[in-house]
Amino acid sequence: MDIRAVGATAGSVVLAALLVVGCRQHEGARTPAVTGSTELIRAGAAPPAVRHDEHVAAGGVQPPGAIITNPYQGDARSAKQGEALFSSMNCDGCHGGGATGWVGPSLADGRWRYGAADGEIFQSIWYGRPHGMPAYGGIANTEAVWKLVTYVQSLQPPEDVPTEAWK
Amino acid sequence: MPAGDNSATRFSPLARIDAGNVNGLRPVWTFSTGVLGGHEGQPLVVNNTMYVVTPYPNVLYAFDLAREGYPLKWKYRPAVNPNAVGMACCDAINRGAFYVNGMIIYNLLDGHTVAIDANTGREVWKTQIADLAQGETTPVAPFVVGNRVIVGASGGEFGIHGWTKGLDLATGHIAWTAYNTGPDSLVLVKPGVFKPFYDTGTQLALTSWPKDAWKIGGGPVWGWMSYDPSLDLVYYGVGNPAPYNAEQRVGDNKWTNSVLARRPEDGSLVWAYQFTPHDGWDYDAVSEMILADLTIGGRKRTVLVHFDKNGFAYTIDRATGEVLVAKPFVEVNWAKGVDLKTGRPVLDSSKMTGASKGNVKNICPTLEGGKSPASPAAYSPRTGLFYVSTNNMCMDYAATQAAHIRGTPYIGATTPYHAGPGGNMGAFIAWDAATGRRVWEIREKYPVWSGVLATGGSVVFYGTLDGWFKAVDARSGKPLWKFKVGSGIVGNPITYTGPDGRQYVAIYAGIGGDWFLLAGDVRSDDPADVRPPADFMQDIARYTSQGGMVWIFGL
Repeated sequence: MDIRAVGATAGSVVLAALLVVGCRQHEGARTPAVTGSTELIRAGAAPPAVRHDEHVAAGGVQPPGAIITNPYQGDARSAKQGEALFSSMNCDGCHGGGATGWVGPSLADGRWRYGAADGEIFQSIWYGRPHGMPAYGGIANTEAVWKLVTYVQSLQPPEDVPTEAWK
Repeated sequence: MPAGDNSATRFSPLARIDAGNVNGLRPVWTFSTGVLGGHEGQPLVVNNTMYVVTPYPNVLYAFDLAREGYPLKWKYRPAVNPNAVGMACCDAINRGAFYVNGMIIYNLLDGHTVAIDANTGREVWKTQIADLAQGETTPVAPFVVGNRVIVGASGGEFGIHGWTKGLDLATGHIAWTAYNTGPDSLVLVKPGVFKPFYDTGTQLALTSWPKDAWKIGGGPVWGWMSYDPSLDLVYYGVGNPAPYNAEQRVGDNKWTNSVLARRPEDGSLVWAYQFTPHDGWDYDAVSEMILADLTIGGRKRTVLVHFDKNGFAYTIDRATGEVLVAKPFVEVNWAKGVDLKTGRPVLDSSKMTGASKGNVKNICPTLEGGKSPASPAAYSPRTGLFYVSTNNMCMDYAATQAAHIRGTPYIGATTPYHAGPGGNMGAFIAWDAATGRRVWEIREKYPVWSGVLATGGSVVFYGTLDGWFKAVDARSGKPLWKFKVGSGIVGNPITYTGPDGRQYVAIYAGIGGDWFLLAGDVRSDDPADVRPPADFMQDIARYTSQGGMVWIFGL
């Protein structure tokens, strides 16, 4: 299957299925590994290139590209497992406990440097980002990365993010 | 050189600015570095030229002080790997440059040392000294002795295998590498040469670790170095062991949290002393070792004086490594004192940490240190006093099992802070190192994180986190002058005589380092990173925000 050719609208369902298939290779893994140990998860199939809808499209025409959805979206148990991974994979060492920001940016403010869409957050973790975000796709499987995505998406931004006032 | 002299005193004999006229000090020139982030370190002034190194991306500016408005002679913009920003534990800072033989030598954050022609700005040599993929970054200022450029790496939070290296001054080639942990062959311990005062035996930096833990045991070098030419010893401190969960590394973990005395030519270790064995509090010992000659108990002693993160000030015989005086200079409760017979701290067992111990409450000082190594102290031979920026904070420490994944943090602890006794989070103090006594203290609302300058005019300069640059009387501590600069101060003041014969004082403004992490609400440049205030410091962002300015003051 040529995943790069998958269109935007029809693509999401197909690709979500694809990634679940990717996960099935690791069935029996139950909870993603790396919880409190150095045991690593084997890498699964490469995820597709995702489209960044918030980027300005030259000529107003979006390029072909995938939109992939989080199979665990909104699932509290997955978010909890993602929270454990966030610590065991040392994410908290840079993004801080509760992901409120340390040397890496806050992931709890509802704002995203590289896009808020499921696939964009997935790609940030899988392939890494400039300025030091490590690529985890070599040691974590898709299931683990989606659970991390679920965790950071579950963080509720404070009531008033833009304003900080003093008395 | 960064500290003004080989002894790391940060003392200048210049005396035109003195206690009587310092209140007439006014800004005469400013320059925006174009970079945000912690402006640690200090400018260098050589041959009527001021050299400034910025935080990442480590631009080097050369200002012509002989011309009106101090225009640039040149600037040097190296290609620095942006991944270094995220691999540096605590903001992408730089601690400055060293001038020698017509070259400016400094470290790029991504693990390179460069030598730049001081006249033309052209690169003379560039050497890779560290490996980002291992978690190594290089904000430390190089230190040059003879034909050796001595450098180290940060990464105590990434499980590096810490080291120092001696580069050849002319070519930049690595002449020797001395690890801080591991077998004698790697630590450059040689029979008959290594004579520590308190320890006996061989393979001390190997046998004080569980098998192979020394390979990922941290021991970074990111502070300041000094050199005694008559003893031919270079002194530097080693940082924390990794991870923060001490139960993963049973043993003393030598030579983390130690002072090492090495021969600069070949790196061989002559003596070592460990301030905090088996560290469970992240008490790096990389603060400067200030060399002074003091009269202690009626005897003239050649000593080094060190204000450790662990809250004790140590006065040590710099020929032998014998501890002569060790007294707390801030609130300390993890240890009851230091046993001068053994050199070891007398621990309070209730403050021992580890994953099995849960959340251990109210440990003083915090892992920011009773004094930060980032803010070097000064010594005035005129007053015989040491001047120190200090933090008055305590912490809870909840250790957890940490997994070592190369290229990611290796920490395993949560450590929230609170203000220490009295509620003020910092103080600026004068210290008598012969007796281990605080002579005077100026309380500050926030932790004090700047370096210090002492002058022959009996004036001492320091800066505050909320952006006040201050001058006080060296003898009494009486405040004499202050000026609000554009951002909080975490850099180190310098003074120099300009081409016009007048004395000037320079300082960076630019809050950062740990204070960017802890008070992320001082940031305004990234709409995708909005943080709440630090719970122990709710209002620092009311008084300052990130910046990057060079300030010069004169009468």
